[in-house]
Amino acid sequence: MLKIEALSFRYAGGDEPVLREVSLAIPSGGIFGLLGPNGAGKTTLISILCGQLRAQSGRISVDGMALEELRRREPAALGLVPQELAFYPMLTCAENLRFFGGVQGLAGARLRERVGAVAAFARIENVLARRAGQLSGGLRRRLNLAIGLLTEPRILLLDEPTVGVDPQSRAFLLESIRALAAAGRTIVYTSHYMEEVEALCDHVAIIDAGRVLREGALAELLRDEAAVVTVRQGRSLEQLFMHLTNRSLRD
Amino acid sequence: MRTLSALWIKEWLALARDLHGLAVLFVMPAVFIVIMSLALSDVFSEGGRGVDFAVLAADGGKLAEALAAGIAGEGFRAAPAPASEAEARDSVRKGHPGLVLIVPAGFGADPGAKLKVLADPALPAMQLLAFQGRVLGATLGGDAALSRSMTVEVVGNPRGGRPSSVQQNVPAWLIFGMFLVVMPLSALFIVERREGTLARLASQRVPFSLVLAGKVGPFFVINLVQAALMLAAGCTLVPWLGGEALALPARWDLLAAVTASTSVAAIGWGLLVAVGVRTMEQATVIGGVGNIIAAAVGGIMVPRFVMPEAMQPWTEISPMAWALDGFHAVMLRQGSLKEIAQPCAQLLALGAALLALAVWLHRRRRGAP
Repeated sequence: MLKIEALSFRYAGGDEPVLREVSLAIPSGGIFGLLGPNGAGKTTLISILCGQLRAQSGRISVDGMALEELRRREPAALGLVPQELAFYPMLTCAENLRFFGGVQGLAGARLRERVGAVAAFARIENVLARRAGQLSGGLRRRLNLAIGLLTEPRILLLDEPTVGVDPQSRAFLLESIRALAAAGRTIVYTSHYMEEVEALCDHVAIIDAGRVLREGALAELLRDEAAVVTVRQGRSLEQLFMHLTNRSLRD
Repeated sequence: MRTLSALWIKEWLALARDLHGLAVLFVMPAVFIVIMSLALSDVFSEGGRGVDFAVLAADGGKLAEALAAGIAGEGFRAAPAPASEAEARDSVRKGHPGLVLIVPAGFGADPGAKLKVLADPALPAMQLLAFQGRVLGATLGGDAALSRSMTVEVVGNPRGGRPSSVQQNVPAWLIFGMFLVVMPLSALFIVERREGTLARLASQRVPFSLVLAGKVGPFFVINLVQAALMLAAGCTLVPWLGGEALALPARWDLLAAVTASTSVAAIGWGLLVAVGVRTMEQATVIGGVGNIIAAAVGGIMVPRFVMPEAMQPWTEISPMAWALDGFHAVMLRQGSLKEIAQPCAQLLALGAALLALAVWLHRRRRGAP
């Protein structure tokens, strides 16, 4: 279990904390949906989990071991697929994969094997020789995912991985993410597409203004909240989300 | 008309909110005017800018003192006389003083006794000619026919004579060119941060210091290639276009040391700008304008010795001035390791300090305790 306890973070020079004593329990081997309106603190939390930012207080552990310690012992334990298309557009897909594999210690036959495997998984084998900057939106998203899988991380952080893709690519990406979870990986998934999260995640947390509003198994949350949420028709995650975070515009 | 008016209003609003663009348009020229006006103020004032000189007379200190008093003025300042010709040669090689007049024994009585001027190779021709005129005036009563009694030796120049324009300019513009790495370095870094590749590398536990080190190697090679190309241009392109060829120094190892040290400082500056700024506009203003100001202050655009005395200590704050000292020591003065040690040490220390500052700044931004 990935456990986050009383995590707080404030940007240097910022007036308000972005995260306020956030605590989450993310079960192993499932897809955990992290939801929140713009500015809720989702990307900051992901940045702390992946080591890009350092929290001022709080603790993160995986099966009882501090995340820092786990990553020292097992550097490839955690993978990130950021919201941005985080690769080099002037390099080809193969060069990007070899670069990101290389900086993580992959080399020789093992590197070739992993590049081949993730290219096949993301179905980008046919464009390996093309410059990443020349790919379509869907192919770029798939390359972005493939890079995150090079070292077979057991915890995968997916920050809005389906932004700006067509329905076909979205369907493919969601299938791929399900397949990754089925293989035993723990996936933390952020998205603004409620129907995606509802279809994909077994556990969710809704955060707003740096605080956790609700957390738990999706089915239970929908069932419990149904009693207090005035629902016109049916019960959806979107209705629960809007109820908890209210309808006022953010940003 | 309404459309044009709407476009004008939009343009004014956009301009008013582009603080960095406005800084380039208004602040940069103002800063540049102040620096260049101050730097050249003595050149355009009565008396001109001074060069230190000394007189070494074999017939005794009194003659030397009398000659020094006669020569001083119109921009030439008398400095203490060196003890010997060897010491004079050594001092001039270092540029302090810029000129030494050597008066042989029996000068005036013996027709074979000729005056000798030892000149700093970094001194421009106009200053040297003006000095010769002052010497003739002071010693020979302005008798031009006696000008044959004077020889001029430019100390340290590989060609023996006065250094050409290319000999003086190539080092200066080579340094300016090397510091331009700040632009591609920061641009690439900003794209990496914006596109999330730096975040991805951080998630892959690639230490930030290693990310920076990964940039040092390629840009160091680029700086070396720049240096080789600019020297090659001085040796081949300039003479092909009718100019004098650049004379390369005898000590390639010293030239390589100065180039490498300059590159370390330039890359350190580039990395600090890259980490410190958030946008391309900021990089352009801080990196580009910073380079131009450092060049103006550091004697790249205007030789330091023409700057007013009060301004000269300030030139020492520019790393381009340190680099210029190093290149002049190697390329103009044929100096030794001892002469380049200080500028190289300054440049290397600056490069290391800027790199450390960049790492510290990054750590502070990510909220490290």
